[in-house]
Formats: sequence, C-alpha cells, structure tokens
Amino acid sequence: MTMGGRVDMKVVMLGREAGGKTSLVQRYLYDRFSGNLPYQATIGAAFGAKTVNVNGKLLTMGIWDTAGSERYEAMSRIYYRGACAAIICYDLTDDQSLEKAQFWVNELKQNEENCKIYLCGTKKDLVTGDNRNRRRVDYFSVTDYATEIGAEVYETSSKTGEQVSKYS
Amino acid sequence: MAALTSRSKKSIRFEESDLLCKNGCGFYGNPSWQGFCSKCWRDVYQNAKQAQVRADEQKHKRRLLPGVDAPSFGKFEEKKKQQTDKRKNTVRSIFRKSSPDTQQEVPPDRTIVRRASIETQHAGAEFAAFLRTLKKTTALDASKQVRGFVERVQNMADAPIDDLSELVIAFYQAMSERVKTHALYRDMSHETADRLLDFVERYVMTRLYRTVFCPPTSDDEDRDLAIQDRIRSLHWINTFLLDIALNETEDSMRKLVDQAITAVIEMDSKRAPQDKLLCITRCSKHIFEALRMSKDAPASADEFLPALIYIVLKANPPLLQSNILYITRFANPTRLMTGEAGYYFTNLCCAVAFIEKLTADSLSMTLEEYEGYMSGAIVPHDPSRQYNCEDLAIMQENVTTLADLHDRQQRLMAEAMQLQQDMSNFSLDMSKEINAVLQRTPLVIRPSKVKVDLDAETTDADLLPPPLQPIIMSSVSSTPAVQIKEIVSVNFATEPSNKVSQELVTEPANQQETAKDGGALVESETSRIASEAGLANGSDVIVGSPTDNVPDVVELLGENIPDIVPADENVSEMAVAESANKNVINNELDTETVGVVDVVNDNITNVESTNKTITGGAV
Repeated sequence: MTMGGRVDMKVVMLGREAGGKTSLVQRYLYDRFSGNLPYQATIGAAFGAKTVNVNGKLLTMGIWDTAGSERYEAMSRIYYRGACAAIICYDLTDDQSLEKAQFWVNELKQNEENCKIYLCGTKKDLVTGDNRNRRRVDYFSVTDYATEIGAEVYETSSKTGEQVSKYS
Repeated sequence: MAALTSRSKKSIRFEESDLLCKNGCGFYGNPSWQGFCSKCWRDVYQNAKQAQVRADEQKHKRRLLPGVDAPSFGKFEEKKKQQTDKRKNTVRSIFRKSSPDTQQEVPPDRTIVRRASIETQHAGAEFAAFLRTLKKTTALDASKQVRGFVERVQNMADAPIDDLSELVIAFYQAMSERVKTHALYRDMSHETADRLLDFVERYVMTRLYRTVFCPPTSDDEDRDLAIQDRIRSLHWINTFLLDIALNETEDSMRKLVDQAITAVIEMDSKRAPQDKLLCITRCSKHIFEALRMSKDAPASADEFLPALIYIVLKANPPLLQSNILYITRFANPTRLMTGEAGYYFTNLCCAVAFIEKLTADSLSMTLEEYEGYMSGAIVPHDPSRQYNCEDLAIMQENVTTLADLHDRQQRLMAEAMQLQQDMSNFSLDMSKEINAVLQRTPLVIRPSKVKVDLDAETTDADLLPPPLQPIIMSSVSSTPAVQIKEIVSVNFATEPSNKVSQELVTEPANQQETAKDGGALVESETSRIASEAGLANGSDVIVGSPTDNVPDVVELLGENIPDIVPADENVSEMAVAESANKNVINNELDTETVGVVDVVNDNITNVESTNKTITGGAV
C-alpha cells in the first residue's frame, strides 16, 4: 500500500465494551499530537486518521474503533481483516477484560498472522496512588503473557495522557 | 406462409364426402391430392403456387415501400436503391458501434444500451477532461491502457466473477505501478497520480458496470432477495431492542435518520465504487450526527454499529448484497483497507452480517420472544416511541404544526392591524407637526442675493441701516462743519439757548464720557463683528465670495450700531453725516468686510472727533 514514501496502514482497536478504546483513540488523536497534525475532523470518534513521521517516512494511520459488545463479536473478523496492527485494550480494573483480550489475541493469531499485536492496559489513573487496591490485573503476568505471544505491553491512562503517545 | 395456405384453402370449395375429383371431372380424387384427381390437382397446385408467389412479392414490396401496390420496373429500381441505402446504414451503424468510445456489450434491448451509454459518456467525458490536463503523450498512454483493458474484460464477460475481480484489481495495481515507474508519468505529482488512478477506477467500473454488477454467473441476485426478505421479516426491531440512544420522536433527529436512510438507498443508483462508498460515508456521517445530538458527545463504534444496523433495517436498501459484493470485488483495495470510507463500508458489511445471523441471543431475548416477534404474535414495546402507528404520529405532528400556524397567523394579523394604526397615526402626527412648523416659522422667500455692483446707481440703498445709507450730496465741497453747525443750530433753535449753552457748559465732561463709553462699546462690538466676519471669511461654508458677505455684515452692523450709539442722537446723526460726506462706504464696501469694519472704525473716530468739535464749539 505504499505510494511515494507514504505508507498507509490500518490499526484496529479491539477490546471489551467500556474498555477505554474510544477514549484512547480520542486522547491519541486530539490531545497529544494535535498541534502538529492535519487531522481531518470527523464527526464521530470511531474512525481517525493520523499522519506520523517515522524515520523520515510519512505514515498515514487509519485507526479503526470497533464495537466491543459481545453481540457483535462474530463480525469482528471483518474489522481486523488486513490490519497492520491491533491494539487490544484491557481494563486494569477489570480482570475479565484481560480474558477477553486473550480471546482477541487468539483470534488474531489464527486469522491475521501478520498483524502486530499491542496489549494495552487502560485506566491506569484509577490504579495508582491511593487506589492501588483497585488494580485487578497484575503487570508482570501480562508482560509474561505478552512475551509468550510476541506482543508489546503498555499501561496507559487516557485521562492523564500517560504513555498514550507510544503507539507509533 | 400459414396465413397464405389457409387463405388458399378457403378460396377453394369442395365437399369432403365426395370421393370423386372435386373438380367434377369424373375421375376419382385422392386424399393426398386434397380430393382432386391427379390431373386436376396439378392445375390447382400450380394455381396455388403462383398465387403464393404473387402474394409473397406483394408482401415484400409493402414492407419496403408502403402504399405501392403494383410492381413496375421504375419502382423496382427505387426498391433496389432503398435496399442498398439500408445496407449502408447498417454498415455505418456497425462501424459506429465498433468505435472504441461507445463500444460495449450489445444487449438485444436497444433502450438499455442507450441508457447505459449516457452514464458511460458522462464518465468518459469526465475522464477525457481530466486527461486533457495532462501531457499529451501521458494522456494517450493512459487512455490506451484503459480502453484496451475495458475491451479485454468485455470480451470475457462470461468468465466467473471472481476471475474478473482479480483481473480488475490486477489492472489497478499494474496501472499504479505504471504511473510510478514508467517514464511517461515521471514528472507527475503524487496528487495528480492519485487523481489519475481514481479516474481510471471510476471510468473502468462505469464502463464495466453492466457486465460485472450482479452478474448472472453468480448467485448475487439470490442473496439480494434473501437479505431483502430477512430485513422485511425483522421489521419489528426498534431502537430500544438494539440499545440505541436515538430519540426518533424529535423532528431534527428523524430528519437525520431519514437522510441516512436516503443516502444508503441512493448507493444503488451510483456506478463507480467510490461513488457508492461516498453514499455509505454520507449515511454514516448522518448517523454520527444524530448520535451526537442525542447524547452531546462524539459517538464511538459501540454506538455507531447498532445505529447503522437499525438504519439498514429501516432502509432495506435495494440490491444490498450485490452492491456490497460489487464494492468488495471491484473497489481499489487500498481504498477499502485504510480510508475512512473503507471503515464505514466495513461497518456496513458488519451490519449486514449481523442481520443475516441475527438470533434471539444477539438481541438478548428468549427464543419464545424472538419467535413471537418473528411471527407477529407480539409487538415489541418501545418506550422511546409514543406511537406505534406512524400515521398517527404524522397526524399529531400535523395538528401541532397547524396550531402553531394558527398562532402565528393571529400574531401576524395583530401586527398588521397595529401597523395600519401606526401608519394612520403617523400621517396625522406628521401633518400636525408640519403645520406647527409652518406656523412657527413661516416660509419667507428672501430675494436672491445679487452681486453688488457698487459703481452702479444703487436703488436699494434705503434698505441699508441708517449709518450706512449713502447720502448723495449735490456738492462734495460742503464741509461737515457746516452741517454740524446746522444741526447744532437746529438743536439750539429748538431749545432755549441759555439752557443749552448752560448744559453744554456744565456737562461737557458728562458728554465726553458718554461719547467715550459709546465709542468703547462700538469698538468692542466692531471687534466682535470683525472676528465674526473673519470667521465667515475663513470658512467658506457660509458664502463663496467675500462680496456676498457684505450685506450680511451690513445687516449685523445695522442691528448693532443703533443700539450701541444711543448716547446722543446728535452724535450719531453727525457721524452719519460725517461718513456720508467722506463717501467712504461706497468706496470701501466692495472690498471686504474688513473694509466695512474699517468704515465702522472710521465712524467711531469720526464720532469722537465730532464730539470734540461739539465740545469745542460749545466751549
């Protein structure tokens, strides 16, 4: 899909409903880099296009938000077909969301071998400081799992913007 | 032929039971000869044959040239000519069809060809217009590639649709590769290259549309019908069941929903994949807009997909599967994989997949409920909807609209009445005011100012105030002293001389004071007038030429001077006489008001001097 030094790629967001996918996309698109980005305003938050400069190459990322509800799980394959990368979100305060994330990982491994997988723990602001006891997902167990499946892990907070910019 | 034989049969009468020859020649007839004997049959047969040949000829002739009954040699020539003409026409038409511009698969139905060619021509014209902006060699190559490819695909229209799809996609890639690497396209900017590829896709697909959209070799049509029936059977699904925050009772919301539905239905009318995708994008944008209105925040995919499903269910777009398959097969894969349109298209695919696979589970309801809804036994409750009946809702809406209209009309009427009242009041007030103004300040038409020719015999000299009135003397030689003496003597004459002399003697100081006072007053007044006059001169607002000012200043002076010099009538009179004698005014008036001021000043000095004289005289 290259055209004259420009690369178009598709990044798909997967994760449980209310897992923070949309917030993450919003944070990424509007906040962190909003100053130097020609972002075409879309009404909805479901699709975002962002151009980043990676090693002198202009990379146009289309970020696809997906419906997380189990109701539409069966259709998700249509979404991640041909995706270059997938960001699988899980809620740090919700251990079921990690199980769901593992389900997505398996799905991707089966159907899209070339898709790079990023695991992303969201809502980190809820589990730091005094709220430490609200954490349900252990960081190290996730990193272990990630090395096992060859993925990268980030724990983010869309609220504080922490680590959001690392996806590029 | 059949008609002919039946006619010939009718013309020959015979009795079927008769075994003898029907001609009555005495011989026996034969059923295979239609009851004639061998001899008579030959005659009958010959006649019939000839009649047939004749009829054939006539029929043929009538077809070529209606109204011509009998064949003649001249007509024959004409006929021949016509036939060749006809052949020429067909040959030409064949040529026309084989020219690359309009050539396409020729279905037997002519009207279809014509309708198709309008769209093709439109796409072709657009493409050609774009090519004209390119370099000639480049444009030539691009158009050659495209036309060659279109012909190739049209020639193999019967191939399986997936092969055609592969062919088209390969062509896109080859074209993209060619644009990138070929020498002809080297100095083309990325934007132009993208546009070229876009036009190529648009043109190729518009040309091939009839061949590859819903082709008979595939089962697309069956799938269209299947999804259509499916959507119809799911008519009972509402926003409540899909957990969508769409409040359709609001007008603006309903308008957006309607627009979304229109957009997705419109998709079928477009030919090029990008146009179809544009329809989907438009539909999605409307949905997002509606969602954002209902909850005041940008909608996420979690809300968008159910809403899209709902829209598709409401719209039941024609040939939905065919359109989706067409886009999947023939749109540029880059477009589908990355762009925004691709995202919405994927969502549409998901919506359709969801509708196809929809079960009781996916709506989180029991199987009994689901069956009940499907069979129409239960009508789902929708709290977001006040009316289950659309017509009732429309009626209610109309009633509110009418009530509103009524209100507004009443308001309009009241305002109109008010306006009428205001207008009559206005005219009354206006005339009243005008009358008042007229009474207060009656219109006086002043005589237009005439340029004063000071050398001319002044006729209106008596309009001037007394101190400025020129007094024409018979002889200039008469001295002021004489006059003064006269006046004084008059005064003396009217009063007892003693008294006057006494007064004059006793009040010289007084008189001098008064004179001085008067002089001072006159001086201050004149300086004021001078400054005013100076102002008037400095600014051209009042009048254009200095001479025009003179009468005004004179007026002013005339008003002022009598007030100023009331100290002694004699004095003023004497002053007049003095100035008149000197003939100053006539000489000075035509210069400037300063001149007039000078005159006044002169007058003052004169007054002073006269006073002196008087006192002197008295002494």
